[in-house]
Amino acid sequence: MQGSRIHIGLGDAIKVELPVILAEARRKFIFLRYADIRVDISEMQSAGAESGMMKSSGRDYSLELYVRAIAGSAITASGSYGVSLGPADLGRFFEIAREAVATAYERAVYSAMNKVERRVSYGALGEMLHSTELAPVPPVHDTYVVPAEIIPHEVPLARLEEAVRSVSGEIKARYKKVVMNAIGIGAWTEREIVATTEGTLVDQTFPFVECFAYVQAVSGKIVQPHYDVLAHQGGFEIVEWGVNEEFVKFPNLMDFSLDLAAEASMLATAPKCPTTDRPVVVLTDPHYNTLLSHEIAGHPMELDRGLKMETAYAGRTWLLSGLDENMIGKRIGSELLSAYSDPLLPGYGHYRYDHEGTPARRVTHIENGIFRGFMNSRQTSAILGDVPNGHYKANGGQVMPLIRMSNTVFAQGTSNPADMIAEVEHGYYISGHRIPSIAESRENFRISSRKVYEIRDGKLGEMYRDGGIMADSRDFFMNVDAVGNDFRLYPIASCGKGQPMQVKRLGNGGPTIRSRAWLVGGE
Amino acid sequence: MRTLAELSSAAAEALVRVRAREDILEAQIVVSANVHNVIRFNFTSRIPCNGVEEVKSKEDFGIGVTAVFRMPDGSTKVGSGSEANNITVDGLNIALQKALEGAVDDPEFVSLPRPLEGVERVLVNYHDPRMLELSNKGFIDSGWKILDGVVAEFSASEALKKFAAGLGKEPHELRLVAGGDLNIICERFAIVSTSMPEVQTDESTVSTSQITSMVEDFNAKGTGYGSYTSLESFSDAAGRKSAGNAVLACGVHREDAVEPPMRLASGRYTVIFGPQAISDILNNLVAPSLTASAFYHEDTPFLGKMRQIVASRELNIYDDATDRTQVGAKGITCEGLPTRRVDLIKEGRLVGLLSNWYETMRLLHKDEKAAEKLGVKPEELFKEGGLLPSSGFRFGGRGGGRGYDTTPGISGTNIFIKGTNPAPLSEMIAGIRMGIYIGRIWYCYPMASLAAADFTATVIGDSFVIKDGKLFAPLRANVARLNDNVTRVLNSIEAVSDSSEAIVLWAADEIPVAADMLVTGVRVDEIGES
Repeated sequence: MQGSRIHIGLGDAIKVELPVILAEARRKFIFLRYADIRVDISEMQSAGAESGMMKSSGRDYSLELYVRAIAGSAITASGSYGVSLGPADLGRFFEIAREAVATAYERAVYSAMNKVERRVSYGALGEMLHSTELAPVPPVHDTYVVPAEIIPHEVPLARLEEAVRSVSGEIKARYKKVVMNAIGIGAWTEREIVATTEGTLVDQTFPFVECFAYVQAVSGKIVQPHYDVLAHQGGFEIVEWGVNEEFVKFPNLMDFSLDLAAEASMLATAPKCPTTDRPVVVLTDPHYNTLLSHEIAGHPMELDRGLKMETAYAGRTWLLSGLDENMIGKRIGSELLSAYSDPLLPGYGHYRYDHEGTPARRVTHIENGIFRGFMNSRQTSAILGDVPNGHYKANGGQVMPLIRMSNTVFAQGTSNPADMIAEVEHGYYISGHRIPSIAESRENFRISSRKVYEIRDGKLGEMYRDGGIMADSRDFFMNVDAVGNDFRLYPIASCGKGQPMQVKRLGNGGPTIRSRAWLVGGE
Repeated sequence: MRTLAELSSAAAEALVRVRAREDILEAQIVVSANVHNVIRFNFTSRIPCNGVEEVKSKEDFGIGVTAVFRMPDGSTKVGSGSEANNITVDGLNIALQKALEGAVDDPEFVSLPRPLEGVERVLVNYHDPRMLELSNKGFIDSGWKILDGVVAEFSASEALKKFAAGLGKEPHELRLVAGGDLNIICERFAIVSTSMPEVQTDESTVSTSQITSMVEDFNAKGTGYGSYTSLESFSDAAGRKSAGNAVLACGVHREDAVEPPMRLASGRYTVIFGPQAISDILNNLVAPSLTASAFYHEDTPFLGKMRQIVASRELNIYDDATDRTQVGAKGITCEGLPTRRVDLIKEGRLVGLLSNWYETMRLLHKDEKAAEKLGVKPEELFKEGGLLPSSGFRFGGRGGGRGYDTTPGISGTNIFIKGTNPAPLSEMIAGIRMGIYIGRIWYCYPMASLAAADFTATVIGDSFVIKDGKLFAPLRANVARLNDNVTRVLNSIEAVSDSSEAIVLWAADEIPVAADMLVTGVRVDEIGES
């Protein structure tokens, strides 16, 4: 395979050869039980401006390769290897892929030997050391391309530059309280190819546009930094026309950013949010619920946490203590509350196959308040005895996949949000997400919001800055007494997990929800 | 992995080519190679597991260039570009083409880095080269060794056997867990520029481990950290320590009784923050507030307070990349400038900032409000050494590796937190009638802005209730949330211990070396009651 640059079209030749390489590996490596190869090709461009001044701009491309092998004689273990490549490697790409398989295999075999030894030497403590197994999925061949009107990596770079410069300059011109703003656009096309020794070969291509707006409004000693992300799978039309789909609605980047600047300016002169000494009625809007669904309905429902695999960093989950001690089938929320993950929803976390080639499907987490199940991978579903649901994803081509949210949401309800407010004698309306802090097993949260409105006698009143809510997650779920019919999907552009840290793009959201929580202001 | 000689040679050749270009006014070239080996652990005594869960690596090398171009219309623009896996002249030309294509007219750009008068490199040949050549087997053996330490500690623990017997169980039935990782990051770096035409190189390894062990039946969690500057220093100590700390967190033995883990009612407490807790607060709240960019953007609680007392007189914070005994050591910055000790807070007084070339120059030359923002004239602060660009690194927030494809941000390296009059930890505990030793916190973030300084975090392990000058009982994991303000906390430090520990923080580029600190009046809220 030859070439002077990396481009999406290289995938055509790559996908033909990967199954050949894996078939050779099966013949050559006698202890190999399974292997997969993933190749990620991207063509990207970006631009950034700060307070009307250009700061950065550029185009680039990337080609990354990752191999996982599961091997061993009496007991199996896994090994993997990832590498970043460039045009200079194209001439020996397939040789590099073969070497990568060999390295992953060598690691797997040696680790398996160590595991066998420890199964004996650890005594009773070693009883749970077991073979690395994967729950079965039928092999699949498929190609999937998400369409875009204006292909993101083909837009002239000058158009991105003009967009960020004009938006950043307009904020500076119009909003004097905004002492600093930063506007960025990333636009890229990403092609992912996964092949396995079981015969799976899936090829998916996604267009991404991701715009970041950050504003900092100052009034006296009050500093109000606020940010938001306008992002979707699609073309550059998102920047210029916004998004107007059933569940995803954004204005264009100019209006999106000016709205943020206007809000930050108002908040810079708003009073500080009070702190209550007990739980109060709170309504959380869909934008706030994007982060809420992410933190307390998404993360605790990742099965690797349940199986203690993330104990050191990302944490465990209060929903599973052991294989026989968990909340599956038990009530964790009110009957009005449901939540699910669905990769097939048209959100930022959309895909058809995960990074081990498992067909993605909706998984229900909470059904009318009853906890139903987790997002999983083939390995974790084998341990729990569940069926793989395709939530094993990496954020880059040379790193190991993890269990990740796709589009994880609170389900739509039937209440009119206006009625939900009108029914409240005294409470608070929590609008727009900001910063989260969650307890280790996700059993408690404190998430700050962009705005807090007091509700009195069914009407929105005073607006506060620097507020948010805090609650035990189960209490919050159990106290849900109204769920709106205004379901929305939003992007989350930076979900961190894993070691080394992977920053993942995905979708979250939900409708307006009413429950109870402590209102928390500043110190 | 590419050798330092290859990187150096590529950089030298690149400079020759760049100098021959009439349209390039100045340029800086970086050639780097990184390998990041990771072993992740997952050991459980009641759920099928792999022990060593993941054996993996990622690697990259390439050439990056930042250049100031004279455009055909006479204007100047600055751009950056890079090319992966090609450090030949072809690779340079591709990188230059990308830089030219993306070049912008940034009115706040002053120049590329220039040599600093009176600042010389002090750190060379400071790492163990054998760590760069560790084989797959050696790497995997090191990982299993750490897990062996966990299991050995659990197996030998008489205390654990007693705790188990108290529940009518065997130790392995107590739902033992161990997770974490061993990271070995190998970095090779070469840099040259039109202003600093002698190629400079740096070679380093950042090897750390963080192990978390649990005895889940007691909701007890313990942590162990390892940082390794040589191959000989690899051991099972981090594993042993984490398991030992987990057992300690099961209960405090008092005469004939054992105090099990307990909850605490919401309130304000005297708290001794352990090294991890201090490090987390530093990493998420204090260090970001002590950067030149935070002052430029007016998002710091220390705005306008240079040379003023901003914290307890007991507090000293400084960054020192030249300390070869710590794993964050670097000989040069990723902008080609010598590393040095950067004092940030000295006996409670704000004296310096972390900065890179761009931010230092911006404050010096492009910001009319710089003096107001800093509280002193920027040129005075620069002369005093408080605004030198000694912290420009291309880590990219990925927790390791010096990226040829990354523009320099501001980062600490080895960040030290020490006391002015340090005291033994035992004395600090003995002086507390009712309080908490907080050993580990999580999800510590500023909830509004760095300037507002309000923060929250949950207490997740290694923590104890103190009563009448003694450790009374473990604090249950995940039952307490801190809600306070970091400037109040810094001003309420009453004592700092005379011992310190290097702490590994998730995805952090810096390695804090922190002591314990006694802080009064910390607001703690009880959580997780449902």
